[in-house]
Amino acid sequence: MIDSLCDQAAGKDVAVVGLYCDFLAQQEQSTTNMLGAILKQLASRGGIPEHIREAFQKAKREFGGRGLRLPAVVEFLKKTTTSLERMFICIDALDELVPKHRRELLRSLQEIVCTSPNMRVLLTGRPHTDDEIVECFNTAVRIPVIPIQDDIRSYLEMRLEIDTTPKAMDDEFRAEIMRVIPEKISEM
Amino acid sequence: MLPGRQQVTGNINSFNSTINFISEVDAEGRQIMQWLSPLEPQQRHQGVRIDRLDSVGNWVLETNEFRKWRDTEDGRVEPVLFCCGDPGVGKTYLR
Repeated sequence: MIDSLCDQAAGKDVAVVGLYCDFLAQQEQSTTNMLGAILKQLASRGGIPEHIREAFQKAKREFGGRGLRLPAVVEFLKKTTTSLERMFICIDALDELVPKHRRELLRSLQEIVCTSPNMRVLLTGRPHTDDEIVECFNTAVRIPVIPIQDDIRSYLEMRLEIDTTPKAMDDEFRAEIMRVIPEKISEM
Repeated sequence: MLPGRQQVTGNINSFNSTINFISEVDAEGRQIMQWLSPLEPQQRHQGVRIDRLDSVGNWVLETNEFRKWRDTEDGRVEPVLFCCGDPGVGKTYLR
């Protein structure tokens, strides 16, 4: 998704950023860190905005060097995106976040989307996250992703191509793999 | 000191201060990046990109829902799109 959006965005004032949620990194994937990672991607694309630099210098002077807090990150994002024609945020595997972080992230996105009409958000996740998404974005559009037979076949072909012991398999067995697996998966 | 030499020294000094200035800015830039977030989603993205088979899942990018979300002007489209599916169907690997 990110790469095809980037291809489209090339040469325009359009930013594409992405986040991956991960079961194994639940602790550090706080909403502040997630949204901060979006700002980082924007900064490495267009340079660090002056308002962020100033806030950093101010925070550094304060006792112990003040860490970033969620309301500040939300404000930074709102401010940074105004200079863009359009911005795409892709967040993968929302279901892998802890529920508390997921709710907070959705609420923050809701707040940002409200003030930034140039923002588009793409979320992926298991169906059970649907209710929480609808709570924040009641008109969100859903695309159910299901594996189609052609895709399964191309994937199998690729895997058989790189098989490390191709001699262990005759043509008949290969043909059976190509026939049975796509059938079984689409029955699921 | 010869005038020429003085000038060279002067140039070197200003060059050094420029270098110091650049590395200071860079050091601060790095600190700001770290302050914003310790996460590096670009690294995961590289991994996904390497493992991905580009043609798979392209039908999603060709759906009306996706095209509309991507191309329609601001304020005239629902800004949030949700691609949902069970584990392992390939949501992460959509190109």
